[in-house]
Parts: sequence; C-alpha cells; structure tokens
Amino acid sequence: MTRRAWTQTLLALAAALALLTAGDPAAAQKSGAAPILTGPLAKLDIKPAQIETARSAPKGTLTVAMHFALDPGWLDPLEHITAVTMQMYDYIVHDAMIKPMPYGFVTYGLAEHAELSADFRRAAFRLRPGLKFHDGQPLTTADVKWTYENFKGAYAKLFHDKLEHIQIVDDRTIVFHFKEPFIDFMDLYNGGVSGIGWIVPRNYYEKAGRDGFKAKPVGAGPYKLVGQQAGVQMTFEAFEGYWRRTPATKTIVVKGVRDLTARMAGLQTGELDLAFGMTGKLLSRVMSDPNLRWDPNYTGPWWLMFPGYNEPGSPFRDKRVRQAVSLAINRPFLIKQETQGIGKPTGNWISVENRDALQGQEAPALEFNLEKAKQVMAQAGFAAGFEVEYTPFPPYFDMGERIMNDLRAIGIRGRMQTLEGPAFRAKVGGGRKSYPGNRNIVQNIDPRAGGAKANIAVYAVCDSPSSFICDPQIEALWKKHQASLDLGERERLVKQIQRIILDEHYFVPIYLNPFVHAVGPRVLPEGDGFHRYWDTLNAPYPWPWEIWEVKADR
Amino acid sequence: MATIPIGADRTIATRRAARRGLRALRQAPLIPLVILAVLVSVAILAPVLAPHGRLDPVKPTQERCLAKYGTPDCPYVDNVPPFWSRGSRLETPLGTDFLGRDVLSRLMYGARISLIVALTGALFAGAIGTVLGVLAGYMGRWWDEIIMRITDAWLTLPSLVFAILLSSVRGPGLWNVVLILALVFWSRYSRAVRGEVLSIRERDFVKLAEINGIGKLTIMWRHLIPNVMNTVMVLFSLQVGVAVIIEASLSFLGVGVPPPEPSWGLMMAQERESLMEGRWWLEIFPGICITLLVLSANMLGDWLRVRLDPQLRNR
Amino acid sequence: MKKYVLVRALYSVVTLWLLVTIIFALVRLTGDPVAMKAEAGADAAYVAQLRQSWGLDQPLHRQYLSFIGRLFRADFGHSFEKSLPVRDIYFERLPNSLKLGFAAFLISIVLGVPFGMLSALKVNSWWDHVGKLVALFGLSMPGFFLGLVLIMIFGTGLRWLPVLGKGSSAFVWSVPSTWVTFWFRDWAHLVMPAFALGWYFSGAMLRITRSGMLEVLGSDFIKLVRLKGVPERMVVARHALKNSMIPVLTFAGLNLLIMVNVAVVIEVIFNWPGVGQLLYDALSNRDFPMVQGVVLMSGLMIVLLNFTIDVLYGYVDPRIRLSL
Repeated sequence: MTRRAWTQTLLALAAALALLTAGDPAAAQKSGAAPILTGPLAKLDIKPAQIETARSAPKGTLTVAMHFALDPGWLDPLEHITAVTMQMYDYIVHDAMIKPMPYGFVTYGLAEHAELSADFRRAAFRLRPGLKFHDGQPLTTADVKWTYENFKGAYAKLFHDKLEHIQIVDDRTIVFHFKEPFIDFMDLYNGGVSGIGWIVPRNYYEKAGRDGFKAKPVGAGPYKLVGQQAGVQMTFEAFEGYWRRTPATKTIVVKGVRDLTARMAGLQTGELDLAFGMTGKLLSRVMSDPNLRWDPNYTGPWWLMFPGYNEPGSPFRDKRVRQAVSLAINRPFLIKQETQGIGKPTGNWISVENRDALQGQEAPALEFNLEKAKQVMAQAGFAAGFEVEYTPFPPYFDMGERIMNDLRAIGIRGRMQTLEGPAFRAKVGGGRKSYPGNRNIVQNIDPRAGGAKANIAVYAVCDSPSSFICDPQIEALWKKHQASLDLGERERLVKQIQRIILDEHYFVPIYLNPFVHAVGPRVLPEGDGFHRYWDTLNAPYPWPWEIWEVKADR
Repeated sequence: MATIPIGADRTIATRRAARRGLRALRQAPLIPLVILAVLVSVAILAPVLAPHGRLDPVKPTQERCLAKYGTPDCPYVDNVPPFWSRGSRLETPLGTDFLGRDVLSRLMYGARISLIVALTGALFAGAIGTVLGVLAGYMGRWWDEIIMRITDAWLTLPSLVFAILLSSVRGPGLWNVVLILALVFWSRYSRAVRGEVLSIRERDFVKLAEINGIGKLTIMWRHLIPNVMNTVMVLFSLQVGVAVIIEASLSFLGVGVPPPEPSWGLMMAQERESLMEGRWWLEIFPGICITLLVLSANMLGDWLRVRLDPQLRNR
Repeated sequence: MKKYVLVRALYSVVTLWLLVTIIFALVRLTGDPVAMKAEAGADAAYVAQLRQSWGLDQPLHRQYLSFIGRLFRADFGHSFEKSLPVRDIYFERLPNSLKLGFAAFLISIVLGVPFGMLSALKVNSWWDHVGKLVALFGLSMPGFFLGLVLIMIFGTGLRWLPVLGKGSSAFVWSVPSTWVTFWFRDWAHLVMPAFALGWYFSGAMLRITRSGMLEVLGSDFIKLVRLKGVPERMVVARHALKNSMIPVLTFAGLNLLIMVNVAVVIEVIFNWPGVGQLLYDALSNRDFPMVQGVVLMSGLMIVLLNFTIDVLYGYVDPRIRLSL
C-alpha cells in the first residue's frame, strides 16, 4: 500500500474508533444516570431533587423559639447525635448527600445519583456539578471522604468497622467498599438517620479546628450562621448560591426560650413567629387565639418502660403487672386533658411513619379497664400495690402526674424523678442499668428515623447500651435479622419482634404525641397553606427551611 | 468533785432567764404570732383539717362530669374555680388544680413541707454553725484560723447559687433540701457565734471555771453554748424566712421537693400557665402563703432581735 | 497601713483558694458529664474519647493542679456543653447580668433610701411602723412571685411591656449600640425583671438606711450641731445624711454584687440571658468548667469587694487597722 493509503486507513480506523467510544450522544447528555458500579444493583427508591428556577431575592426575618437552650455543638455534623434537634440545624447550615424532603423520605441532595451493589458490599455516589460551600470553596468527593473518615457521632463505630476503603473515582464520583455486606448502609447514610451524610468542608474544618468550626461553621446549606450568643440566640442569613433554590426568607433568628409561658407570650406580642412544643396547659389558648395558627405535627408515640423488670424481686417481672399498668391508663381522658383531644390513640411504641412498624389492625389501640386492671394486679399478688419511682419525659411533668394519678387507682404509688433534659437523656442512654432498684417506670418518646429496626436496635436488644429489654426470644430473632440479607425476611422478623414486645407488655404505648408548633400572623402563606412546612416524614421540626416565607415587614 | 462548780450559778441564772423569756413571749407582736400559730397548727393537723387528700383528685359526681366533659364518667374535674366565682363547689372552696386536686388541702399539706424543711434546715444549720463558732472562738489559734477561713469562703457564695449547685449533687427530694439548707447557712451562725464567744470567754465565770480545772469541752458545753443562745435564736428566727424562700425557689426550679408532693414553690411552678389563662388564684394562693409565713417569721425575728439586744432596745 | 493591706490581701487570697477547692470538689460530686453525652444509641468510642479530651480521665490531683494552673492564666477551660471557652461565654453574658443588677440596684435605692430616711426622721411614728412593715413585706415576698404577678399584669394583661428576654425586635429602640446606649436600649425588657429583683433588696435598703440614720442622729456629733443652733433641716441634709451614707453604700455595693449573682430565678422566668441562666443550664448539663467558672467569678467579685471595703474602712477609721 502506498503511504497515502495507510494514512487514509488509519484515519478511517481512528474515526470509527472515535464514533464507537463516543457512544450514544443522548446518553452523554444524561451523564447523571450513567452507572458507576458494575454488576447487579440493589433497587433504590430515591426521589430526584426538586431544583427550582431562580426566584426573587430572599426577604424578611423569621424568628423561631426553641424550647430549650441552644447548643453551638449542634452546628457540627461530625458529632451528630441521634437526638433529632440537631437535624434542624443540619437543614439550615448544611446539606446531605441524600436526605428526607417533603416530596420523599429519601431524596437526592448533594448527590444526584446513588447506587448500591446487590451484594451490599459497594455503594457509589455522584455529586451534582458546581456545588459550593458558603466560603466559595467547591464541594468535592474529597470532602465526602473526609467527612466519613472523621465522623464521630452516632453509628460511627458501625460505619468505620464495616468500611474497607473509599475509592475516589473523580471530583464528583466516589465509591465505598465494605468488608462485608452492609445492608443498612443506604438507610443509615440518609441524612435523616445519621450525620455522616452531611458534608463538612475538610479544608475549613482542619484550619478552624473543632471549636472554631462550632463558633463559625461553614456548610453547603441554604443559610449561613452570621452571629450567635452561646445558648441564647443564633442568627442565620440566606446563602443565595444554594443549588436547589434561593431561600425565601432572608434572616432566620433562633432563640432558646425554655419557658412555655414565655413562648406563648412571645407569639402573642409578635416577638416570635414560630414556637415549638406548645402542648399542655396552653394548647387551648393557642387554639382559641385568632392570630395564631398551629400544626399538630405528630412525632411519635409515648410509651412506658420498666427498667429493672427482670431483676429479682421486681414486681414488673410478672407480665400481669405490666398488663395492669397498661389497663389502668385512661388514654382517652389523658388525650383530652393533655392535648385537647388531638392526640391519637396508638397500639405501638414505634411511629407508624416508620417502615415495618406494626400498625392498624396489627396493633390495635389499647383498652382502659380499671376493674380488670385491679383483678390482674390481685392475681399477680399485688392487690395492695407497691411504691415506684416514676421518671417523666422533661418537660412534660404534668403528663407524668396525670399518669401517676391513673396508676394510683390500682395501688401503684410513688414520687416523680424530675430531671432536666440532658440528665434524662443520659439516663435513658444508659439503659436499664442507670435506674437503681427494680421498681422504676420511665416515660419516653423517640421519633427516630431509620425504620422500626432502629428503635428495636436501640431499646429492645440485650447488648445495646440503652437496652431496656432482654428477652431470649427477641435475641434469637434479632440475630437472624442481622444475619439475613433478604429484605422480606428482615421485615417479617422485625414485625415478629414488635409483636412479642406488645404481647408481653414490655413497653406500654400511650398515645401518639402531637408536638404542636404554633405560628404567628407573619408566616406566609396566610390561611391554612402553612401546613406544608410540616410535610416531611419523620420530621419533628418543620424542615427544610429554604421554603419558609414570611411577611417582609421587619 | 463534790463541790458545785462556780460556773453553775451562771448556768442556773441563764436557765431562769430562759423562763423569763418565755413569759416575755406574751409581749411579742400579736399578728405574726397568730399567723405563725395558725400555720403551725394547720401544718400539724393537716391530715385532720384538710377536706381532701393531697395527692388524690376529688371524686366528681356524674352531673359534674357531664357538665364539664359531656360524659357521665370522668376521673376528676379540673380547674374548678374558687368560692367567689360561678361554677365553684362548696367542697372545694379554693377550687381545684389541673389534676382535679383540692387546692385548700394541698395548701395545708404544703404548710407541712415548708415548715418542716425550713425549721429543720435552719436547726441543723444552727447546730453545725454554733458548734463550729464556739470551737473557733474558744479553742483559739489554729482552730480559729481554719474554721474562719472556711466560713469566709463559704460566705462568699450567694446562697441561691450554692443551693442550686448542691441540689445537683443529690438531686431533688425533701430531705435533700434540708441537707442543702443546713450546708448553705451554717456559716452565718459560726461567724456571729464566734464573735460572741470571743467576748464571753473573757468574763469572770469562764475564767473561774478554767482556774477550777474544768475541761474545755465542759466549759464549751455548759457555759459558752447557753450564753450564745440569744444570738443563735435571733439568727434562727431570721433564717427561717430565708430558708422558706430558698426551698420555694428550689422547688420552683424543679430541683427542690419533687412532685406530686404539694410544696408551695412547686405549686407555683406548675400553675404558671394558669396565670396566663386567667386562673390567677392557682398561682397567687401559694405565693400568699409563702409571703405570710416569711413575713411572720421575719417580724418575730425582728422583735426578738430588738428584745435581746440591749443596745437596740430604744429603737 | 501597708501591713494592714497586706494582711487583708493574704486573707482574701486564702479565702479564694479555699473557695476554688470547695467548688472543684462539689462540682465533681454532681455526676459524670460524659454520661450526659451518652444518649440512646451514642457511640461508645466517641464518648470515651470525650472523657479524655475533657481531661476527666486524669487522676483527681492532676485535674486539680491543672485547674489551678490555668486559673493563673485566667483560663477557665472550655465548656463541655458549648465547646467554646468559658471565659468568652461568661463575659459575653456578664454585661446582661450587670445591666439587670444595676437596674435592680437603682430601684432598690430609689424605693428604699427615701422611705428609710423618712422612717428614721419620724421614728416610732405611724410612718415608721408602715415603713418597717413595707420593708419586711419586701423581704418576705419571693422575687419570682412578684415577677410572675408583674408578667400577668403588665406583660400578658395590659401588654405594656415585653416578656421575652432582651433584644426582640418589636421593642428595641433602633439606636446604634454603643457604651452609653447599651444601658438604655432594652429598657422595656428590663423594667419587670429589675423590679422583681430590686424589690427584695429595697426592703433591706430601707432598714439599713433607717438604722444608719438613727445611729447618726443619736450621735454626739449631731447633738453638738444641734446645740450650735443649726436648723433641723440643715442638720439632716448636710450632716446626718452624709454620715449615714457610709454603711448604706457599703451594704448597697454588696447588694449589687449579690443581685448580679442570685438573679437565677428571675432570669429563668423572664428569659433574661444573664449568668444566672448560664449557671442553671451548666448545672443541668454537668458542665464542670462552666459551673466552676460562673461560681468562681461570683465568689471572686465578692471577695474583691470585701477586700476593697476593708481597705477603705481601714483607711478611714484608724481603729480598725490598728486592731489587727
């Protein structure tokens, strides 16, 4: 062949090669959906993010009252504890790879595409293009990797133990490799369940240090912290470069107002626009005030626990005594008194919003039968009753007194252990071991996300640090659950465990708590449209915050 | 020894003076005495005087249940107003609280709590403080220095702050509050008692007792302590009022006497929302009780101070 | 004189050291702060690491020594709860407490001193008895009771005054915040808590003024002035008043400090962001460094004030410095 012929052939071959490797031009535009992992994938149900085209500039100030003192530590996702209070601040200042939103419990946030291999040993994410932190630095997979490795909050040990290594494919693509099948990974990585998915800027954090970061945090969320008085007030301003949409409100001021009457007064005088935790004695006033509106905001069920129930000599060892406690509580009257009737009766201690929670027919509402309760107590040999120590959930001390009142009718008397919030949570965190003696009743509520198994893992398993139940049947079922890779079987086992807990009355559900939030007249839209702020599932607080609108008169 | 110690005369004289003092009580101002007497007898006789229990709600009739809730059966009827309002009941003259409990009965039992806590707390504080003060004043150099420095350090802490701090150590509870009061207030006694002892110990009868070879402990017990009792009593009566307020403040903050016991401070804490709702009596009655108790204790203490301190008698 | 000052200074130092030690011990008796962070489902390794970063895994004597050492550098450590230096948080809040204390102080003087003088001048008359009763009443009514009544009447009833801490937009004058305006900006928020706090001390002020005046009025010096034929009004205004002010001012100064520090309940009711609330929060969280810092600072203030008073008295009255 002549040199000319060779050149032409080579050029043709090159052109053919180029055409082949260029692939489908249509596919090139859908680069977001291009697969990252090879091999069969697990099915994921993640809703796409609703990116809204540029809106008008943010305006107005929203003043929010938290029902306890503020903690600057909430601004640091690396130390994310499971108390849901933190997540409110995550949604303000930070952003997560995947997180709950009003349009889906798992939606894409910083990530635009996620994959989980069918053997649950690899998980991959692709970040959206052009993401930036508040200080202008780009958000890359280096930050995602750093956040994972430096996370110290809840589930950190689990995440670190299971991880084999993290592979950074490029600036926007990252793959997690696990030592063994990590079936819960996507559940736990969800921003609504743990803090590890809330991405922290590596460079800034290393420069500012732990304390500097808490004093002046930087994230990728819709608002920046512009001022704080430790414990008293935090002021946030809109970050107009937020990828999803421009925040509607310019300034958010969060105050720590521990007092119910002060929050009420603030709403009435207009000093506050949004206040949390308005149940109890002032709810009727909130309902009757024409200037205020409120959302019932059901979070989770109240339930009673019996730490020390399987200690020798404990009256709660006998299932009949526990059953008597359940029969003695006049739930309808309690609901009427404590929540003006908007509380919902429930048969389960796990919220129905959770996946795999027993509900409806499977967990019917519990009956109130004082005669039967006294009978059962007598059968168990405690006709004369006994003394207990009752620990209510702060600050619902009134509710605790009402329940103690009911219990006094069947002979169970005692005093209340009124603890402050942190002390209470610490005791619950320590499980049944942190309650001395064998005659304790603890009232708890825990609207944590992550499916019914999350609640079971924390409270109903023997070797959990916060364990309140230790039952061999449940242990056997749980072991099977942890070993199983079949989602259907797991669901069955979780439901079986709940069945045992309810039948044995290990936990006594009371009612579904309305964690009422009240808003003032400045919150838009006027009328009833404001309820949409509470649409997110498993959210005790009305996030996301970039959609909140107020009148711009301040 | 067969002989009567010379100091005994003084001790006998002191005892006579005490008896005189009791008679003089009749000259005490009438109003605080009456108020205090009423409160003390109410506190002692509460189980007899109170129309209902302190913990259990008043059993309602079917018609009351129907009127309030629309159902014939209810465990209690809450927030019944007091006698001057429409809708009140004769059996609960001051009304009922949020749990349907009789306010009057709870106020009576609350008197028990306030009095027990304040009196025993001030008593223990007085006991500790007097002993330490006598030791410091009489035993001299090192005892004096150490005890007084500790007293000074103790006194620099504002009492409420100190009380709240101590409440974190042991948690809420009636006897814990008594302990806290004792620990917070002893220093006030020791300072005053030490001053008294410093002047008393130079007096003849003490010197004579020392010459007679009587042991230091006996001297402190039989001569010094009886003679500082005047000062201690005045302090005690003034401290009772402060103790009541501190207990009420602690219960108000939730770290004092725990529910469901009817401490007045606790009742005020629980009914704060009722104030907003217009049911002001639930909040005001316990407050008035506290004020009356402290007022009468203070007035009596004042009278006592004037009486026992000759210099002030003219004022 | 120098010897006197030195001795008093030594006493103050010893008192302070004792105070520090007592607080250190007491605070550690209140429980385990690491347990406070251990919520349901918390990571055990993280919690253990917290213990180490807070220095609580060290033996007690080492903790004590490092604590004292840092005090010399005016370092109170880092708050366990808020993760920021205690000193910064404290001094951020202190001006609020000072503002409240000072306002209460003014109220107590305005209410107490004139009536005390009136009582003394018309001693044992009807005025006097009423005055004494009013003073006692002030000392008998708990501050929080009065605070609640004020909120009921002026806050939610008449809606004249705001009820929510300080600095809420509806009631703050929009003047720039300078040193001077600092005291006036939140006046509407200040009225009720200051009144509730100052009421109690006005009773004490009344009595101190009364007894101080009486003592001076009965003194030889005043008798001499009267003998000289000076008109009664001059006696009171120029001589009696000036001399009776010394114990009053001493007492008032001490009261101011006490007010700054014991306003806990008032601050909680009115949501006033002062050091009392800081202490209360810190105790709930077993935040050792914060509790130590707040209590120490209040003790320090009182010790310093006592020292100053002692020195001033020693300077003014030679008998005192020689009696050492």
